[in-house]
Amino acid sequence: MPIQFTLAARYLWGRKLRTFLTTLAIVFGVLVIFSMNILLPTMLQAFQSSILTASGQVDLTITHKSGETFSTRVLDQVENVSGIRAASGTLERPVNIPTNFFRQGNVGAVSLIGLEPKAAQALRDYSVQAGRFLRSGDTNAAVITAGLADAVGLKLGDELPVPTAQGVVRFKIVGIRPAQALPGNEPVYVPLAQAQKVLSLPNRINTIQANYNTNDAAPRAVIEQTIQNILGSEYQLGGLGSSSELFASIGLAQQGSNLFGFLALFMGGFVIFNTFRTIVAERRRDIGMLRAVGASRRTIVALFLAEGLLQGILGTAIGIGMGYLAGVGITSLMSGMFEQFLHVQMGAPVVEPSLLIITTLLGIGVTLFSGLLPAWNASRVTPLEALRPSVADVEARKPWSKANIAGAGLIVIAILGLLSNNIAFVALGGFAFLIGLVLIAPVLVKPLANIFSAVLGVIFARQGTASLAQGNLTRQPSRAAITASATMIGLAIIVAVVGVMVSITGGIYSVLEKSLGSDYLLIPPSLGVWSSDVGADAALADRLRSVYGVGVVSTLRFASTTVNDEQVNLLGVDPVAFPQVSGLNFTEGDPHDAFAQLAQGRNLIVNGMTATQLKVKLGDTVKLSSPEGEQTYRIVGIGSDFINTKIMTAYTSQQNLKRDFHKTEDVLIQLNLAPGADAVQVEARLQEILAKYPQFKLISGKAYLQESQQLFDAAFSIYYVMLVVLALPSLIAMLNTLAIGVLERTREIGMLRAIGATRRQVRRTILTEALLLAATGTAFGLLGGLYLGYVMVLGMSASGIMPVAYSFPLAGILAAIAIGLLFGVIAALLPARQAAQMNIIRALRYE
Amino acid sequence: MSLVQTQELTKVYGAGDTAVTALDHVNVHVNPGEFVAVMGPSGCGKSTLLHLVGGLDRPTSGRVWIEDTSLGDLNDDKLTELRRRKIGFVFQFFNLIPVLDATENAALPLTLDGTSPGDAKKKARAWLTRVGLGNRLTSRPDQLSGGQQQRVAIARALAAEPALVLADEPTGNLDTHSGDEIAGLLRQVSDEWQRAVVMVTHDPRIAAYADRIVFLKDGRVVDDTKLKQDGSDNTQMVTGKMHALAE
Repeated sequence: MPIQFTLAARYLWGRKLRTFLTTLAIVFGVLVIFSMNILLPTMLQAFQSSILTASGQVDLTITHKSGETFSTRVLDQVENVSGIRAASGTLERPVNIPTNFFRQGNVGAVSLIGLEPKAAQALRDYSVQAGRFLRSGDTNAAVITAGLADAVGLKLGDELPVPTAQGVVRFKIVGIRPAQALPGNEPVYVPLAQAQKVLSLPNRINTIQANYNTNDAAPRAVIEQTIQNILGSEYQLGGLGSSSELFASIGLAQQGSNLFGFLALFMGGFVIFNTFRTIVAERRRDIGMLRAVGASRRTIVALFLAEGLLQGILGTAIGIGMGYLAGVGITSLMSGMFEQFLHVQMGAPVVEPSLLIITTLLGIGVTLFSGLLPAWNASRVTPLEALRPSVADVEARKPWSKANIAGAGLIVIAILGLLSNNIAFVALGGFAFLIGLVLIAPVLVKPLANIFSAVLGVIFARQGTASLAQGNLTRQPSRAAITASATMIGLAIIVAVVGVMVSITGGIYSVLEKSLGSDYLLIPPSLGVWSSDVGADAALADRLRSVYGVGVVSTLRFASTTVNDEQVNLLGVDPVAFPQVSGLNFTEGDPHDAFAQLAQGRNLIVNGMTATQLKVKLGDTVKLSSPEGEQTYRIVGIGSDFINTKIMTAYTSQQNLKRDFHKTEDVLIQLNLAPGADAVQVEARLQEILAKYPQFKLISGKAYLQESQQLFDAAFSIYYVMLVVLALPSLIAMLNTLAIGVLERTREIGMLRAIGATRRQVRRTILTEALLLAATGTAFGLLGGLYLGYVMVLGMSASGIMPVAYSFPLAGILAAIAIGLLFGVIAALLPARQAAQMNIIRALRYE
Repeated sequence: MSLVQTQELTKVYGAGDTAVTALDHVNVHVNPGEFVAVMGPSGCGKSTLLHLVGGLDRPTSGRVWIEDTSLGDLNDDKLTELRRRKIGFVFQFFNLIPVLDATENAALPLTLDGTSPGDAKKKARAWLTRVGLGNRLTSRPDQLSGGQQQRVAIARALAAEPALVLADEPTGNLDTHSGDEIAGLLRQVSDEWQRAVVMVTHDPRIAAYADRIVFLKDGRVVDDTKLKQDGSDNTQMVTGKMHALAE
């Protein structure tokens, strides 16, 4: 075995505790990456199916052109097409119900839907409000909606009779789904085999639904084309257009998770880098001796890389194992939450072989890569270090050293990036800022330690420990900086992510209030997916206006249009009433002027998404396709509302909508009470009028606001879980560095004890030191985190995902300070105890 | 021909007002197999001289010749190779690798030079036996006394059969008895195994083991005295010389 490997193995084996701690860092890096990557696709699928469920749509629906049934073999063909994530075949038939068929109530017809429970649930969610959904192995079981159950007076466990060609078949009701939002035949879900039997259509289905494994437009088109080619022209393919607004939501989720993955990787690498820096620092004498007796620089680099390789392999193997367990654990933990809040079922976590390969390469690769710079530094250790053992103790880094200059340079670049307003530069600046801080940290340690130790000195007056601890730190600013940087990265991530979340929630809530701030809303069954909504003619709004106590009434009308072949939702508003009851969050243009201009000619207000996608700005003109041919509209403002934030939307006057698109239907009505009106009376009157318009649901704006906020809080709680998953390892990294710091100084602590320091004093010195380090790290972390958070928020706004103003995450900062200091103490407890219990003689001999 | 020859060797630390001249145009030579002690008060430049001769540091001006090689002409790789093959080092703090046993530590220069581990260990065992550690071959440094650790270091210095052994205060960290043993061992290195030894020390009793003592003061050679190694005690004479030079 080459000497490098012998040495590496011996060092690792000879210092078991340290090897354990450093390998732990690698384990955690890999663990985060691996578990996140198990978790995220599973979550993403859940998100996807939740969104699809909300809209009742899937990626692809296949039917026969004749509308007749076809063989289940077609399903096999579709499933085999690459790019299909899940596919399910169903047999759906309306079943007419004779009058007085049920004990009570009359239902004209039900829709009997036979499906494979497992395949169908992989496609979309079938949440139940009572009982359970169908399972494979069920025979005469059925799941019905609450609507049907109420109508015919049946409950869970009762038998539902269904008239069939073979006479009346009785299904046991095993689950009840929430009432369906859209009018139509009430669905009765039964196992596919059962449906085929009672309808006498063995091995036949009439609909295939499928979801793709990609959200990108190009591969989706390829998949669709492939299927069409295989099945031939008698089959009809339908589904979501690739420009569908739903993808915007999924894209947002995906960007969020990519961000987390990247941060995890960055952190893992940093922890490993830190560990190697520590190892090199404490082994300078050994390295110097090796160099003196004839080890070349290459040999030294190879020695450290060999150690990295061994640890990388070990850590990656353990990390993957633990990552899998963590992924599975968190998935099962979160699936509960998902089901409760979002009514989405998460599938079992799937580990792709590619993930295994990539993680292995990443774990070992990142370990080696992170070890490179420290290894190179080690190779620069001069042989003289071996002869001057005291050199390592007195460290004087010149303020103008390369590292400091580089660090300062990176921070300047970061600030310039921030000023550049270019999102790529800004994002790059975020990481430049963090790395810059890490590099420049040693210089900043001294002044910061001085400040904090002054504070601690007051607390621990006359103990002498504060000044000793301060001395320890300032004497070796690099070592202090290493530990502080670990804290810094961990806290920076917390502060950054909390900053983003506070900003987003704040942004959403403010948009919510603006969009839905009216006293009452008459909402259609499907908000945002306007084309599927049935509205009301102007008579309804007029009747509402005539109600005593009603103030302003504003209505929203809808037309679909395209600009440069891009689908855009065109909403017609009343330029006078709309801003009074609702409004838009303007990013460009003056609200007052913009609405005034809507009333005068073909003018448009577009939302952020549209402005970004179409690359248009204030004052530009766009050509809208309409039944009357192309019409030129001028953009007079850029502003968004909550519901349509993620959908390409433009607002114009209802007059324009009528003239160019012949649309006069109101799809959403908002109204405010007149001053001093009696809300109860008005509400009763409104309900009366709405009895004739069952497509609208009357809700009070405030209630809707609360409902929406709850939904968002639930959705964001998932991000907080991810935050914990991410923050925990970085905090453990801090513990790791602190513990190594004590190990490293064993001899010094022995000396302190020898010259008469009590155990208590030693313990207190270590604790004080940890607190000083934690305070320093926290200070850096806050700086880095604020920057990163600001950058991310800027990024979100700039990419048009959501117009968000940066909110200062005060709560996050307070939490970070508390966590930083608390973990400083917790991390120091064990090492401090160890140091205090140390055998003096053995400590003095410690090499 | 001399084994070691320095030519106007000068080393200046720092620059401007804070510049310190550690060595000032020093010319010394060491013959093959000769045991030379370098003495002088603290800060006289004796360690600096050893570092420059060993190729651990580069001079500000002047040259160091080892046989017919000028160290200044070598790049880092060549210099490293020269250290590995021609020079053995003994340090004040032993500097053994804590995770390797005595044999493995002594074998290091050979393993680093690419010798097969079997051969390297065989040679290392032979040297360890010669320095009196035949019974501690597999002990780790923390299981050895200071004197024993320094013996391992001497075995390591000799393992690659170098022509020159450089020792920086080799007894500085040892008790009197162990110190004497180590000095005797270095004497043996010169007498029995014909290696030149250059040893830096401030202890007249240890320096008295050498063939010749070079005295340095303020970076200059101020005295160069040959000692008779005929069994008589030279300590008195060396101490006297030290005091005289200190005044």
